[in-house]
Amino acid sequence: MSSPAAGRALRYGASEEEKARYHGLARRHGTPLLVVSRERLRVQYRDLQKRLPDVSLYYAIKAFPHPAVIETLAALGCHFDVASEGEIELLQALRISGRKTIHTHPVKKSQQIKAALRGGSTTFVVDNLEELGKLTPWRHRVGILIRLSFPSETAAVDLSRKFGCPPEEAPEIAERAQRAGFQVRGLSFHVGSQSLSPQAHVDAIEQCRRLLERINERLPHPLGTLDIGGGFPVDYELRGFDYDAYFQPIRRALERLPRDLHLIAEPGRYLVAPAVISISSVIGKSRRGGLRWYYLDDGIYGSYSGQLFDHARYPLQFPDGEGPRSPSVLAGPTCDSIDVIAENLDLPELNEGDLVIGRMMGAYTAATSTRFNSLNAAKIVVEEEDFDVG
Amino acid sequence: MKEFQETLYDSISQCFRIDKLYYESKTEHQHLMIFHNAFLGRVMTLDGIVQTTERDEFIYHEMMAHVPLLAHGEAKEVLIVGGGDGAMLREVRRHPGVERIVMVEIDAEVIELARKYLPNHSQGAFEDPRLELVISDGMEFVRNCEAGRFDVIIADSTDPIGPGEVLFSDDFYAECHRVLKEGGVMATQNGVPFFQLDEVRTTRRRMGRHFADQTFYSAAVPTYHGGIMTFGWGSDEPALRQVSEKVLAQRLSEAGFQPRYYTPEIHLASFALPRYLLDALEE
Ligand SMILES: Cc1ncc(COP(=O)(O)O)c(C=O)c1O
Repeated sequence: MSSPAAGRALRYGASEEEKARYHGLARRHGTPLLVVSRERLRVQYRDLQKRLPDVSLYYAIKAFPHPAVIETLAALGCHFDVASEGEIELLQALRISGRKTIHTHPVKKSQQIKAALRGGSTTFVVDNLEELGKLTPWRHRVGILIRLSFPSETAAVDLSRKFGCPPEEAPEIAERAQRAGFQVRGLSFHVGSQSLSPQAHVDAIEQCRRLLERINERLPHPLGTLDIGGGFPVDYELRGFDYDAYFQPIRRALERLPRDLHLIAEPGRYLVAPAVISISSVIGKSRRGGLRWYYLDDGIYGSYSGQLFDHARYPLQFPDGEGPRSPSVLAGPTCDSIDVIAENLDLPELNEGDLVIGRMMGAYTAATSTRFNSLNAAKIVVEEEDFDVG
Repeated sequence: MKEFQETLYDSISQCFRIDKLYYESKTEHQHLMIFHNAFLGRVMTLDGIVQTTERDEFIYHEMMAHVPLLAHGEAKEVLIVGGGDGAMLREVRRHPGVERIVMVEIDAEVIELARKYLPNHSQGAFEDPRLELVISDGMEFVRNCEAGRFDVIIADSTDPIGPGEVLFSDDFYAECHRVLKEGGVMATQNGVPFFQLDEVRTTRRRMGRHFADQTFYSAAVPTYHGGIMTFGWGSDEPALRQVSEKVLAQRLSEAGFQPRYYTPEIHLASFALPRYLLDALEE
């Protein structure tokens, strides 16, 4: 059913049941839509818990900052990675205690620090002494995680260029922080998002293990936490990614750590990407230079913004198209030429009102969509049922 | 939420069982709860921090009201900044010599909630004819107040992050000093020094700039977790700290009420500070 075209998974047609579900949603709510499945979220959370058994999971709210997602995960015991006042407010509105959070943004205004403390978020990530200085007025209240940089070639989104100190600087930061009266909880890193090889995590964990050993020999207060960040990938290509093979070496690396170390991860994508689909409609078509062009009511400035910011290629499904296929272009609704979702697609003929389904569209989609052309963002609808993810 | 877990410190946290939730604020910007705990009675929390409980509030309110009032001995005009739950007012009005009590609270809703859900705190104190209740920012009030108006100022503030922040500022102490009469005294809530030594240092620096005699006195309020809490003390009259036990006892008996925590002996002893605190202040 799935056929990769230019690195993108495509699926033609759909079962009657699926078709009825998509069209039902479109009729009830209008398009463009983003549909969240609570059940798929639960499946993802439990799956990751099983794969990283001794690790406390802190969902990175930034990936899809929606109350229904937060609430569903909180009910399973999930904790939260927050990076802004707005994210803390989301949690407060749901009465989720700040004790279930860590504040992971390495750079913050003093106003944000105060807002975080008022929200009960007391663990802060820093990667230099300058930033540590900002926390000095609250040094007796807060806990510190020192973020290290481990650049990775196998991640789709590098997160070590902008943040993280070189690992060799960590002992000095830890020592100076303790001398200044801070409680240093431990180390953290983020190997980059959509990190396709487990080696990045394995190497980082191993380096942290050695660093912690060195630091804890010297400092009066041992560091007791390792935060292994996020970055766990999802299968955008729908080629049957081998998650067992991916997580096993990471688990092995974790098993070499001292048993009493607190382990934390900050997954965003892995939990939420498969839990959301996009439903958009064909709103116009034309023929340009021998190609068929279809214009949708969602695009690069909307839910598909992750194709630009997040380098993702979402699997697409065409439940309505039948008949012979020809080279086609899928474009978004704005007036800008870069608003093209995909080119060189072999598509059956589509008509106005036909639906296009974007799959695996939970992570960094709605989160980064814009209001360009004063178009409304896709409406977010929350459903209980799971999707057929394959 | 069936439990309240305090969020003051990253590595340590006290936890109270919520036996009945009476009230929870619905705004995103502050989180206020009033609930019942089988041991503590009614408890009020704000932004994850215990504000007051029925079981131990008497220690805090008696020490903050009676120590400055009885040290002064003839206070007529008293200013309470904050104190929306009404318990400070309840203690101040037990002094018959006090002619006027101005209470400045920034949040009218806190007063309404406390009257409704914490009636034992105010015990009818809001009906006292000597009370002038002002709903306003405490900083604004003292800034616009004429000089030399009050004998005693009591700053019953919340945590130094949030709306209470300004009540720990240099400017606030300066304005309080200005609106105090000669021989007047101010007392402030100054946190638990075992966990937050910096608060004592900062207050010494800021308050000490404006008062000839600045120090702290202490009491252990069990639900302000962490041992003794400190009260800031500022006056230009060092003799207020030299009043004898006998005179204090005399004044208390003239006032004609029975405290549950306060005694003249405790009054005098509460100014004795542990070595680690003295060291921090001498740095
Ligand atoms: C600090 C931090 N934690 C967690 C995440 C979530 O990463 P992912 O979605 O790759 O799991 C990010 C993503 O940008 C991040 O910056």
